[in-house]
Amino acid sequence: MIKLENVTKEYKGSSIALKDANAEISKGEFVFLVGPSGSGKSTFLRLLNKQEVADSGRVLVNGKDVGDLHPWKVPLLRRQIGCVFQDFKLLPSRTVRENVSFALEVIGKPKHIIETQVPAICELVGLGDKIDKYPHQLSGGEQQRVSIARAFVNRPVILLADEPTGNLDPQTANGIMWLLDRINRSANTTVVMATHDRGIVDTMRRRVIELSHGSIVRDQSRGVYD
Amino acid sequence: MAVRVDYIAKETANNIIRNPSLSIATVLTVAVSLALLGAALVIQQGVSGLQTRFKDDVEFIIWLNNDASDEQIATVDRALDESPLVKDRNFINREQTFAEFEQYFSESPEVLAAVTPEDLPTSFRVVPVNPELSVVEQLGDQFRPLPGVRQVDFAGDYIRRLNQFSSAASITMTVAALASGLASSLLMYNTIRTALFARRREVEVMRLVGATNWFIRIPFMLEGLLQGLVGAAFSAGAVLALNEVVGDAVRGADFRLFDSFALDSGQLWVITGILLAAGALIGAAGSGVAVSRYLEA
Repeated sequence: MIKLENVTKEYKGSSIALKDANAEISKGEFVFLVGPSGSGKSTFLRLLNKQEVADSGRVLVNGKDVGDLHPWKVPLLRRQIGCVFQDFKLLPSRTVRENVSFALEVIGKPKHIIETQVPAICELVGLGDKIDKYPHQLSGGEQQRVSIARAFVNRPVILLADEPTGNLDPQTANGIMWLLDRINRSANTTVVMATHDRGIVDTMRRRVIELSHGSIVRDQSRGVYD
Repeated sequence: MAVRVDYIAKETANNIIRNPSLSIATVLTVAVSLALLGAALVIQQGVSGLQTRFKDDVEFIIWLNNDASDEQIATVDRALDESPLVKDRNFINREQTFAEFEQYFSESPEVLAAVTPEDLPTSFRVVPVNPELSVVEQLGDQFRPLPGVRQVDFAGDYIRRLNQFSSAASITMTVAALASGLASSLLMYNTIRTALFARRREVEVMRLVGATNWFIRIPFMLEGLLQGLVGAAFSAGAVLALNEVVGDAVRGADFRLFDSFALDSGQLWVITGILLAAGALIGAAGSGVAVSRYLEA
């Protein structure tokens, strides 16, 4: 499903972000990326949906070299990869329904599909009764649920989550993890999640890839934070 | 597809409403620059009409004194006949002159009432073999000293001066139109960049969920296109108004000479078409470049 072969990525004027990284993630896996800030977790994620391009090495998603992808094919890649962020990236002037619909509208999905899919996914993430609220009327945990609904509404095969619980209190964070776990298990969606949250990693006991200064220093199934 | 049309119409309208002052500024700049272009086109059309009109016409006119005797007229006629440089000549008697006069002043009966054929001079209209201006002038000057000749007028001279003036005016306006066209393209570019900046979160989400660049681009380009077309429509209105004013002035004038400056509706349609196309081009190009640069960054 996902394969990194000797991937190196360096940003101009700063230290190396990813150095000769090798990893392979199978379909349906749930993987935590751990490590201190600046260790290359976000770069790892951003390479997968071609928000960044590797300086050397190959990044394969679904067997295709992402670096070689034609620019016009990048949107098709991204339709298979949902993204969730620490800061949610919701559109403040749109309701929950409109935020989630937006992801389908802009890839040209027909209206009748949007009208059935969006309420269903909002129900799934537990926001059925808040579907016409605006983001500022919701708690942080609820906003993250909207963002997960938006990332998942198009049924992507991969879900990337960059510190999704970073802004949430532990109890709310657990709710979000429960949701991600459910998406992973029920839809066999591959989930790759960068996190600092020791408690979550230690509780979930899933595969852990640890990064340090851009290098993969540990890759452990059913791992712990450190 | 219904969703797409809805979506694009909604987004385009939102973009324009979100920043009305910038939209208005853009439309006005486009209108001003295209109005200049339109004026330059009107002048060019007028001048080229003028040139066709005079191609086969009289090159110079020998005006005779009112009291010129038949003998004097016959002398001039003979001189013209004998000159190898004269291709053709045409004597215009008082009645013919008066008929033309009537035509010129058809809208001023008080002038006509005050004039009789006897008040008007007779003349020879002369077509030289060689229409080159310096040759024509030399030839005309030969007839100036003959008895009974009051004045020799060169049509070519007027046309040449008019030509110089109007081509200078037309060049100036074309340059001004190009400069302000560039300015409006740049303003368009900035307007669309501002619109993109105002909607950067939407654009970011669109890119993340896999919207194609064309899908992101279309509402912004449509916004530019619309502003370009509205500006062009204003400039076309200005050209039509200008043409009305010129048309009135020309019809009131003594000469038919400038009639070609009052354009017919066919010519006006062509100019309107050119202006709309130029407005669309400014709009689509300015916004297209802005969006492409934004999406590549």
